[in-house]
Amino acid sequence: MSEYIHVLIMLVLAAATAGGMLVATSLIGPKKSFIDKMEPFECGESPIVSPKLRFSVKFYLVALFFVIFDIEAVYAYPWAVLFKELGLFGFIEMMIFLTILAIGLIYVWRRGALEWDR
Amino acid sequence: MWFLGFVLLLLKTAIVLTILLGLAAYLILVERKLLGRFQIRFGPNRAGPFGIWQPIADGIKMILKEDTIPQGADRVVFKYAPAVVATVAILIAAVIPFSRDAILWGYDIPMVISDLNVGLLYVLALSSLSVYGVALGGWASNSKYSLLGGIRGAAQMVSYELPLGLSLVPVVMLAGSFSLVDIVNAQACYPFVVVQPIAFVIFLIAAVAESKRLPFDLPEAENELNAGYHTEFSGMRFALYFIGEYVHMMVLGALVAVFFLGGWRGPWLPPVVWLVLKALMVPFFLIWTRATLPRLRYDQLMHFGWKLLIPIALLNILATGAVMLWLRG
Amino acid sequence: MEQVMSTINLSAIYPEIILTCFSLLILLMQSFSTPRFKEYYGYVSLVGVLAALAFVVMEPSSFFAQTVVYSFNDMWVVDNYARFFKLIFLLGTGLTILISMKYLEDEAMQYGEYFALILFATIGMMIMASAGELITLFLGLELMSLSLYVLAGYTRVRMVSNEAALKYFILGSFATGFLLYGIALIYGSTGTTSIRAVAASVGKYGLYSPGLVMGMAMLVVAFGFKAALVPFHMWTPDVYEGAPAPITAFMSAGPKAAAFAAFARVFMEGLPALQMEWTWLIWIMAALTMTIGNVIALVQDNIKRMLAYSSIAHAGYVLVAFLAAGELGISSVLYYLLTYTFMNIGAFAIITALSGRGEPRVFVRDYQGLGFQHPFAAVAMSLFLFSLAGIPPTGGFMGKFYIFSAAVKEGYIGLAVIGVVNSVVSVYYYLRVTVAMYMEEPSSVREAEAAAPIFSPALVIAIFISAYGVLSLGLFPSSYVAIVKQSFLALQ
Repeated sequence: MSEYIHVLIMLVLAAATAGGMLVATSLIGPKKSFIDKMEPFECGESPIVSPKLRFSVKFYLVALFFVIFDIEAVYAYPWAVLFKELGLFGFIEMMIFLTILAIGLIYVWRRGALEWDR
Repeated sequence: MWFLGFVLLLLKTAIVLTILLGLAAYLILVERKLLGRFQIRFGPNRAGPFGIWQPIADGIKMILKEDTIPQGADRVVFKYAPAVVATVAILIAAVIPFSRDAILWGYDIPMVISDLNVGLLYVLALSSLSVYGVALGGWASNSKYSLLGGIRGAAQMVSYELPLGLSLVPVVMLAGSFSLVDIVNAQACYPFVVVQPIAFVIFLIAAVAESKRLPFDLPEAENELNAGYHTEFSGMRFALYFIGEYVHMMVLGALVAVFFLGGWRGPWLPPVVWLVLKALMVPFFLIWTRATLPRLRYDQLMHFGWKLLIPIALLNILATGAVMLWLRG
Repeated sequence: MEQVMSTINLSAIYPEIILTCFSLLILLMQSFSTPRFKEYYGYVSLVGVLAALAFVVMEPSSFFAQTVVYSFNDMWVVDNYARFFKLIFLLGTGLTILISMKYLEDEAMQYGEYFALILFATIGMMIMASAGELITLFLGLELMSLSLYVLAGYTRVRMVSNEAALKYFILGSFATGFLLYGIALIYGSTGTTSIRAVAASVGKYGLYSPGLVMGMAMLVVAFGFKAALVPFHMWTPDVYEGAPAPITAFMSAGPKAAAFAAFARVFMEGLPALQMEWTWLIWIMAALTMTIGNVIALVQDNIKRMLAYSSIAHAGYVLVAFLAAGELGISSVLYYLLTYTFMNIGAFAIITALSGRGEPRVFVRDYQGLGFQHPFAAVAMSLFLFSLAGIPPTGGFMGKFYIFSAAVKEGYIGLAVIGVVNSVVSVYYYLRVTVAMYMEEPSSVREAEAAAPIFSPALVIAIFISAYGVLSLGLFPSSYVAIVKQSFLALQ
């Protein structure tokens, strides 16, 4: 528990540093805001398209696959720590688990969900 | 008595923070000069001999710039997204062991800010958090270039999180623990790069992709997306993004050193120097590749991450397990 | 480490392992598919179902030996109760696969994932039946539910299908939330999630905390949703109507039985001490379910919706038997679920054949004149409808007889009376279809010829098996009753 307090102190100091830099800027810098400067940048033109555009569903698929395989990695970690105690039985069991998820990856790959954008 | 420990902790944290930020600032200078040399020109050399005062000049300039927030941007998120990136990058340094335990007046002082017993998971969690900085930064600016850059950046970072994580599983298998101190101690005989060359390569590549450096820097692609997700950030915010990125590079170097190159271990020189030397090899390598390689197209990037790195990382785990079991009888 | 390792008994999960291997095989076949493969998916999954069936009967010891095996540290229990339910599930799956093969070809849907998902759902149901622990139960429930959410929306081009999938998903996730909260509360009150240990701790310490009762109530909500009991039945008509007909067949039989399997195991084995609390609750739910299911079915035109409401009503009958716990009650639940599987899937098989591409012909008026054009289909449909109505000598009648005699024996005479009255009421809407088939002219002769149903051999086999099941359960019940009496719960 005490180790996490060290992390907390580091967090406080790091956040204070970053925050301090930002506060310093907002206090010291000039503040002349006029409409032409405040428009979003678009290579010199006025903004044409609404910035909240809809983006492709392929990004959603990436995030979905990431969640699934990240959970697999999360399950691989505790097994990896105890790998030496678990011996052959644990190894085969984990390989079966990884194989099932690898079959999932193969399926996703062959069905083309990893194409286009990706 | 605990007060003394607290003071020591503050001291350690302050020293690490200062050195980290200082090195990051000077790393910017080193990069510019190295890039210059790679491109057969001098880098900045006006501000002081060899441009030594350049980072300080840049810092002062950044602070004095106006603090603009574009029209229609989400004010709160816009203000704090860069801080997220910088803070997260600095926080990773909290678990890196700098040296063997120092023994002062009979007390055993660990040369690491926090010896978490789940140090490796902490590191991976923080690198996942840094995706927020990119995605939120892209979203908060009210500009479609930023949004596209932010989304692509988030998708890229998320895709390369997986090889990053999976390539560290064999390291954990060899060391038998998540704590970085234990991992360094387990490399007493030989550094892990000797037995895990593939994992080393995968980790390095994934780390390059995570820090969005060339050849993976589409999210900030200068000539495609008008500087991508940090288009609308100016002044100190912009500087914070960059400090975050450079601190991230150095911390990544330190992580490579800890996981694969033996941490602070080494003959003659003091341990801290060894760690710094090994850690600085990675930013140097990153600058070198930036000067040399072209940018990967987005679908090539994704193809590489999902179809090449992840299967290789999985096969690496299989092979490591099999060899370890076979060697033990 | 050693004591945990010794409870790993792989032979207890052979059926699930077999089904998993076959479903992964189908996924791989789909990944590397060639057009020639199309027919093989169905056969491969059938082989898998048969292999799993063989293992359920044989492992870990013969079915008739009546052994109870707790393995994986009390997480997994294999007793005759679980094995009988697994037989019901595998039967439902096999029949569904037979029905689906021609349907998939007609609707031009993707093959591989369909069968893989059906097998995944079956594995989930088998996990639910064998769960010795609440978290394992949750795992099985989610596996089954997620596969069904996708299957309900499988015909992506039809709006009703998308609507069905979305409704099922949203409401199902909500119910899962209730389940988890209930599990959490029970864990908080008893300190364990293993069903046996919950029973031990509730009984030993006489724990009667509000948390425990709240947890129990939430579990009732969750299981009530999954088994489509009133007042958690709102999803059933829309989902049954929108899903492709073979999936409706599958959903009406397997998951309902699985929900009851889990319901009975948790409440009879895990929370018998709380019987005072849930008895009146289930009484009201049973009465409401039977009544509302039957009454609303009276006014339905769409035959799939009508059968959806009728399945709600049948769940009500099962609840009556559930209430009359004890050996007679549980064995009547098992018997009724078996005959219900046969008759429901049989009815939906005929609906699948007759509904046509895109399923336009699912109304009662589309069945007019069927008796003269396709006598075989009309006879089979009438048999299944009579069985659903509970007319002797079909299996439906024996099942209801068994249930109501169990209820009367335990003293729930009021409920039995309500059940009988509801059965009589239900005869109207079942026989309405038979009347349309035999005593009315088809709407137009041209239409009737254009809409010729195609009976593939697999579908005919499925109808024969279902008819055989219904008739033998009705005419020769004693052997089934003997098997079912052996299958009551290990802990009573």
